[in-house]
Amino acid sequence: MYEPTLRYEKIDFLGEGQFATVYKAKDVKSDKIVAVKKIKIGSRLEAQDGINRTALREIKLLQELQHINLIGLLDVFGQKSNVSLVFDFMDTDLEIIVKDSNIVLTPANVKAYTIMTLKGLEYLHQNWILHRDLKPNNLLINREGILKIGDFGLAKAFGSPTRINTHQVVTRWYRSPELLFGARQYGTGVDMWAVGCILAELLLRVPFLPGESDLDQLSRIFQVFGTPNEETWPGMKNLTDYVQFKQFPAQQLRHIFSAAADDLLQLLDRLLALYPPARCDCTQALQMPYFSNKPAPTVGAKLPMPTNIFKMESEKPSLKRKLLDNIDGGSLAKRLQF
Amino acid sequence: MKDVIDVMALQSSRRERRLPDYRSTSGHSMATNFIFECGIKLGLQPATVATAAIFYHKFFKEADKNDYDCYVICTACLCAAGKSRDEPIRLRDAVNVAHNSINRGAGPLELGEEYWSMRGAIAQAELLVLRLLGFNLDVPSPHRYLLHYLRSLQEWFPASQWRSAPIARTAMAFLQDFHHSPAILDYRAPHVAVACLTLALHVLGVSVPLASTLDDDAAWYSVFTKDLQKEKNWEIMEKIMQVYSREPEPI
Repeated sequence: MYEPTLRYEKIDFLGEGQFATVYKAKDVKSDKIVAVKKIKIGSRLEAQDGINRTALREIKLLQELQHINLIGLLDVFGQKSNVSLVFDFMDTDLEIIVKDSNIVLTPANVKAYTIMTLKGLEYLHQNWILHRDLKPNNLLINREGILKIGDFGLAKAFGSPTRINTHQVVTRWYRSPELLFGARQYGTGVDMWAVGCILAELLLRVPFLPGESDLDQLSRIFQVFGTPNEETWPGMKNLTDYVQFKQFPAQQLRHIFSAAADDLLQLLDRLLALYPPARCDCTQALQMPYFSNKPAPTVGAKLPMPTNIFKMESEKPSLKRKLLDNIDGGSLAKRLQF
Repeated sequence: MKDVIDVMALQSSRRERRLPDYRSTSGHSMATNFIFECGIKLGLQPATVATAAIFYHKFFKEADKNDYDCYVICTACLCAAGKSRDEPIRLRDAVNVAHNSINRGAGPLELGEEYWSMRGAIAQAELLVLRLLGFNLDVPSPHRYLLHYLRSLQEWFPASQWRSAPIARTAMAFLQDFHHSPAILDYRAPHVAVACLTLALHVLGVSVPLASTLDDDAAWYSVFTKDLQKEKNWEIMEKIMQVYSREPEPI
């Protein structure tokens, strides 16, 4: 057996969170640059219930999965009382790109990001796994312009009819209406809704539905798509946290996304269908005209990159923040502050 | 009324006596019994307890049995299996159940030095188990295969015949019991499932409808798994049966 500590040469410290420290490192064996996430458990082991469950969940799921558009777990090793996860090193993420005012996102760029996201997610769903925390800063991008879905700390197998899930998943702005109404049994629709919100954000360059509370979130959703009723959403009133909302009329998506072509609006309409069974799945989405119509998606190498990743190798505030966000495996509470 | 109560008391005291005394058994002879007992007490699903047993066998395939405390490792395997199958147990519960199973009749541990050292040992052992497994937590589950095979067979059998013998329960019991033996690591999950099913049918004296019309070298289970030879199937069944001659049940 090789000695892992010798295999990975620490290059840079990227960030530290409550549960883990992240380093940029070089894999001496393959000469690749990797990200090493070291789960801290040593001193806290006795205080917790043993090894961090989120880390274990991430290890187990990622070991089974392999797809170009999913973050690769390259290695896991233990040393003394620590466990470290070795990931592909990713230069940036979609949130950085969306927020970077120096970057122009062309329709072809948007299409490329959407395709890569849907392909990764399609593979995930085909393996009966829900991601449950899709948002721009979990869509990681490397300098070759390849997008990979990251952070599997909340991912979970789905499809068991008896399994009750928690509805406290997904960062609020990307949370689907059925989750906001407290649904305990849900499917791929929760991820599809999030993809719709991300696509909208790529077009608008600001979060599409930035709710300030769960109620505000629902209210913002209904203000755009109209308040659903028993006809448009059968069974809605039976959901645990259902509350009656003011009747809002539906708006025309073309007024909100004035620059979007019809084929793109059609896709958005299917991704952001209020009634979960009406939402399309990844395979259906990828077959919609938007993806075969012009313009063709930008090839990876031509996708825009934040300028700072090439300029300042030593300082990566972007990645640091990203990894820090990921680290707090159990950070849901933090994210869900009301 | 008195009679009823007496019978129940008798039964429960007999059950008490049937539980092994882990303190007096030497080495690892009762390790898997311990896993199953604690797993059941912790309310874990059978497949999760079975995963814990697999972890245990894998661990001691690599490690020397004399180097580690058997019951600490067993408890750690239960914790790790619980987490890997999304059925986590509290470390405190694991400590108390393990302690109470070893020291029958003792109350819950005081939050003192003994409790904390046992808890620490189990937490460290959990990490050790995971490291020795190479963090490879994905255990192929024969339970799932068996479930699907049973469902398919149920359709094939006439309803009355299926109801007349406890095929599903017997096959599942064989599967669960086979986890007492490290031999389970040597076979693929679908093969283990078929062997449990075949053994159950033999024991119950039930044959698969129309199976006798098949050619000599064809087996009814070839629809489930193509690459299982009859000899191999017998070999696994023998391994399963060996579990029952392993140790005399302490009575």
